Amino acid sequence: MPGRAAAERIRKAIALVNEVADGAGDEEITPTEIAEAIRDCLELKEIEQGSNVRKYLGEALDAVSDGMPADFVAMTLYAALGALGESRPEL
Amino acid sequence: MKSAEGRGRTLDEAVDAALIELGESRRNVDVRVISEGHEETVVEVSVIDLTAAPAVAAGAQGNGKADVARSLVEGLLKLMGVRAQVTVRTGTDPITLDISGRDLGALIGWRGETLRALQSVTNVMVGKHLAEGERVIVDVERYRQRREHTVREIALRAARQVKMTGDAITLDAMQAFERRAIHLALQDDPDVGSSSIGEEPDRRVVVGPRKPANG
Repeated sequence: MPGRAAAERIRKAIALVNEVADGAGDEEITPTEIAEAIRDCLELKEIEQGSNVRKYLGEALDAVSDGMPADFVAMTLYAALGALGESRPEL
Repeated sequence: MKSAEGRGRTLDEAVDAALIELGESRRNVDVRVISEGHEETVVEVSVIDLTAAPAVAAGAQGNGKADVARSLVEGLLKLMGVRAQVTVRTGTDPITLDISGRDLGALIGWRGETLRALQSVTNVMVGKHLAEGERVIVDVERYRQRREHTVREIALRAARQVKMTGDAITLDAMQAFERRAIHLALQDDPDVGSSSIGEEPDRRVVVGPRKPANG
């Protein structure tokens, strides 16, 4: 299912950010890795299906590069996931 | 706090024995493993005192941060149209907010995703009141606490199996807080250790024999 790939990529980015927020301590996550995960999401054409998905992903990427707190980045990525879900309720 | 000791051949049997004595369901209790062996497992099961929470929330005026966090989450839930009670959990560090009410499954979401999003939003809202690195944990109907307890049980079972077979076991993919609960559960075990492999969101914990120190 095409939209599922986008949801999975966004969830991967969220998981990385949450790991930083939780300080899980079993893997060193760098902002570069998080930014790469978000860019992977932005490369998918499917994200155009949700009206604000690209906008929220862009904001999340900006937040990472601006050094905003992990929770802020996570919140923005959840918004992207929510926007994608609104366009594809099965996600 | 009402508690009882339970004994059984397995962890489940021991917990069930204590629950029968207390007349409680698993949902309302905390479980502490006292000892776990091949023949017998002993646990202490304590009933969660839900009535104590509001008293602490009221008494938490000394803890202004917790009170601010609670008020903000209450306001957020109201705006969401969710009728629920928010209390500050006693004696926890970091600050933990418990949300309780009827039919709050939607607040938990698929594999706790909505709960996690709610926690992120809460920390963004409360952030300016917190010190650097300080966080607020949000729990709905003790979901997070029960999940942590479940993964600790899984860790202890896996450790027991590793000790018997000597083979490492790879567990299912888990979230970071769940993996951490497993690492903490096994950190003092002299024979069995844990490490994580793979990439998010399929990152998994491997439980295996500790390597003997050189020399």
